[in-house]
Amino acid sequence: MAQHAPTFPRRTLLGAAAAAGTFPRFADAQARMAPITIVINQSPWLDSFARIVQLYERESGNRIELDVNPFAGSLEKQRNSVRAARGTTDILIMNSGWFAEMYFGGFVQPITDIDPAYRLDQGVYTLGDTVFFDAATKTMNARGKLMSMPIAPLIPLTYYRADLYREAGIEGPPRTFEQLEANARRLNRPPRMIGMVQRGARGPNSVSFDFLPYIYGHGGGFFRDPANGDFTVTLNAAEGRTALDFYIRLAREAGHPRTAAMDQADVIQAFATGRAAQMITVIAAWSQMDDRERSAVVDRVEWAAPPSVAGKPTAPGLGHWLAGISRNVPDDRQRAALAFLKWFGTASTQIAFARGGGIPVHAAAYRDGLADERRFRWMKPMAEALPHSVNPYNFPEASEVIAVLELGLNRAIAGEISSVAALNGMSSEIADIMAKHGHRTGKLEPLR
Amino acid sequence: MRRDPDNWWRWATLSPALLLMLGLGLLPVLNLVVLGFFDVRWADGRSIWTFVGTRHYAALPADPLFRASIVNTVLFALGAVAGQMLLGFALALLCHKATRGRVFWRALFVLPVLIPGIVIGAMWKLLLNPDFGAIAQLFEVAGLEPLDWLGEASTALFAVIMVDIWHWTPFCFLLFLAGLESLPRDVYEAAKVDGASAWQELLRITLPLMWPTIVVTFVFRLVLAFKVFDEIYLLTGGGPGTATEVVSFTIYQRFFTEDRAGYGAAMSVAVIFLIFLMLAAAAAARRRVQS
Repeated sequence: MAQHAPTFPRRTLLGAAAAAGTFPRFADAQARMAPITIVINQSPWLDSFARIVQLYERESGNRIELDVNPFAGSLEKQRNSVRAARGTTDILIMNSGWFAEMYFGGFVQPITDIDPAYRLDQGVYTLGDTVFFDAATKTMNARGKLMSMPIAPLIPLTYYRADLYREAGIEGPPRTFEQLEANARRLNRPPRMIGMVQRGARGPNSVSFDFLPYIYGHGGGFFRDPANGDFTVTLNAAEGRTALDFYIRLAREAGHPRTAAMDQADVIQAFATGRAAQMITVIAAWSQMDDRERSAVVDRVEWAAPPSVAGKPTAPGLGHWLAGISRNVPDDRQRAALAFLKWFGTASTQIAFARGGGIPVHAAAYRDGLADERRFRWMKPMAEALPHSVNPYNFPEASEVIAVLELGLNRAIAGEISSVAALNGMSSEIADIMAKHGHRTGKLEPLR
Repeated sequence: MRRDPDNWWRWATLSPALLLMLGLGLLPVLNLVVLGFFDVRWADGRSIWTFVGTRHYAALPADPLFRASIVNTVLFALGAVAGQMLLGFALALLCHKATRGRVFWRALFVLPVLIPGIVIGAMWKLLLNPDFGAIAQLFEVAGLEPLDWLGEASTALFAVIMVDIWHWTPFCFLLFLAGLESLPRDVYEAAKVDGASAWQELLRITLPLMWPTIVVTFVFRLVLAFKVFDEIYLLTGGGPGTATEVVSFTIYQRFFTEDRAGYGAAMSVAVIFLIFLMLAAAAAARRRVQS
C-alpha cells in the first residue's frame, strides 16, 4: 500500500488473520493485476479499511494506493477525477450524501458491465438497495444494475455509559426519546458530566446526518414519498417540529453548552474522555471506545438502536459508504478494482474486517460467534437497527439539499432563529431546489 | 506626426509577455464571467450547460448566506485591518527606536506571518477550546468562567478577528518598518533643533511622511482580509449559525460543496466587482488626501 495510508504492524494483521480463522484465498493469485488507487475520506473507520487493504495486498500481491482526504476534499477529488477525460482514481468511496450524484452523472461503471457473471453475495447488505441503479427509470432498486459494493454500513447508534446507568439505577438502554431525555437530565452534572452530547456544527453532512434518527424516529421525514418520486417537502410537518424542538431542548437543558459548534470529533472526544453520559453517533467510533490509548471509558460503554417515539420503530439515517468503479479508467484497472471489491464482499473477509475494527457489510459477520464477544457487543444493536435504516438522499442534488439543512439546523440550534422559522425556511428552499431540477415537489403550509 | 522607429520593436518584444499575462490573468476571469450565465449539470459523464442569463446575479441579494457573508466580511476586514495597522505601526515605531537587539525583535515580530494558515487554525483551535484550551485554563486560574470563544455567536467573529490580527500584524509591521527606515533623518534633526517633543514628531513629521505607506498597507491588507478563508474554514466553518460566514467561504460552499458552478461563478464575479469598487474608493480617497 502506498505511503498515503496509515501503516500497521505485521503482528496486527496476522492477529486479525488468525482470529478470522481463514482468509479467502485470492482466486487469481498467480496473475498480478494493475495497481489501483482508492480515493477515501479520513474518518473513524479508515484504519480498519487500511488494514483490510494491507491484507488484500498480502494475499493477492496486487498493489493499492489509498488516497486519503478530509470528507469534503474526498468528494472534490472524486468529482475532479470522474469529470476528466481519463480518471486518476479507480475506486470511489462514495458517501450517502453524494453517491446518487455519481450514479445519475454517469460516472460509475456498473459492476455487471465489467463482469456480467458477477452476483453480489446473498449475505451482503444492499442498504436500501442503494447499490443498484436503474438508469432508465432513475431509481435505485434491485431491477437496476449493480453499481457498487457497500464498504461501511454506517448508521448512528446510541452510545451510553452503562456504569453511570447502573449507579443511577437506570434500567436498560433508552428505547424512546422520552427515556433518552429523562436519562440525560438525570445524569447531567455540568461541567463535569454532560447528559447528552450532540453534533450541532454545520459541515458537509454533519448536523443534518445526526438529526436523521430524531426526525425519522418521530415519524417525520424530509419528503413525502421519495422512493416513488414524490418530493413534496414534509420537513416542516408537526413531526419535524417536535423532532427539532426535542433536539434543541436536549442540547440546551441536558446537553453540551457549545452544541452549536460541536462537530463529530468534538462529540466523540467529549464521550471518550468521560465527560458525557450519552450520545447518538455513527457506529464507526466503536473501536475507539475500548482502546486504552484513546479512551477513558474502556469497557463502560454499551450500545443500543437509536430511540424513537413509542409505537414507531427506530429509524437511523444511512450514512453509509459505497465503493464504485470509475467509468473513465482503463479496462485493466476496472478489472483490478473489481477483483478487490469481490474479495472484500466475501463472508470471511468481512469477519476479518470486523476483527480489525471495521463495520462489516455481510450478515455472516453479525451471525458469527464474534457478535457474542464482549468487544463486539455493538453488533447485536447494529443488526437490530440496520433493517430500519433510512436513506433520505436518492437524488443527485443531495449536496444542495444537505447544505440547506446544515445551515438551517445549525442556526436553530445556535438560537439565531426559531425552530419554526428554520423549518419553514429550509422547506421552502428545498422545495425550490427540487422544483428547479424538475422533481415532482411541493410544500406544506408554513408552521405557525 | 512622426512615428518613433523603435516603437514597433518595443511592442514586438513586449507582446509575448503581454499575451502571457493576458492569458493567465484575464482568461480565467473571463471564463468565470461566462460560467456565471449558465447552469451546469452532469449526465452520462458529460457536462450540460444551460443558459440562464442574469438569473444567478438576480438571486444573489436574496441569498441569506451571501447577505450574511457580506456583512461579516466587511466587519471582519475593518476590525482586523484596523487592529493590524495600529499594532503594526506601534511595533514598527518601537523596533525602529530600539537601539539593542533590533534583529531579534524584528525576527520575533515577523514569526506569525511565516506560519502556514493550517497550523494557525489548529493552534488557535486548541488555544481557544473551552474545555482544555490554554486560554480557558488561564480564565479558570483567574477565577473567571471560561468563554466559548468560537462556539458563541456573540464572540466567534471577534475571536476570528483576533486570530487574524495575530497572524497578519507582522505584515503591516514589516511595511511600516521599511517605511520608517527610509524617512529622511535631517527632518527629525531639524525638528529636534526646533525643540519638538516626541509626540509632535510623530504627529507632524512621521505620520504625514508615512501616509503613502499607510495607505498602501491599508489597501493591501483590506483586499487580503476580504479574501479570508483558511481561518474561517478551520476555526468555525462559518458558524455558529452565520456568525462568521464570510464571502470566500460562501463561494466555496456554493461552488464546491453544493456543486453549483454557475451560481458560484456569478457570486465570485460579484465579489471581484466589490473588491474593485473598494480599490477605486481607496484610490479616490488617496487622491483627495494628496490634493
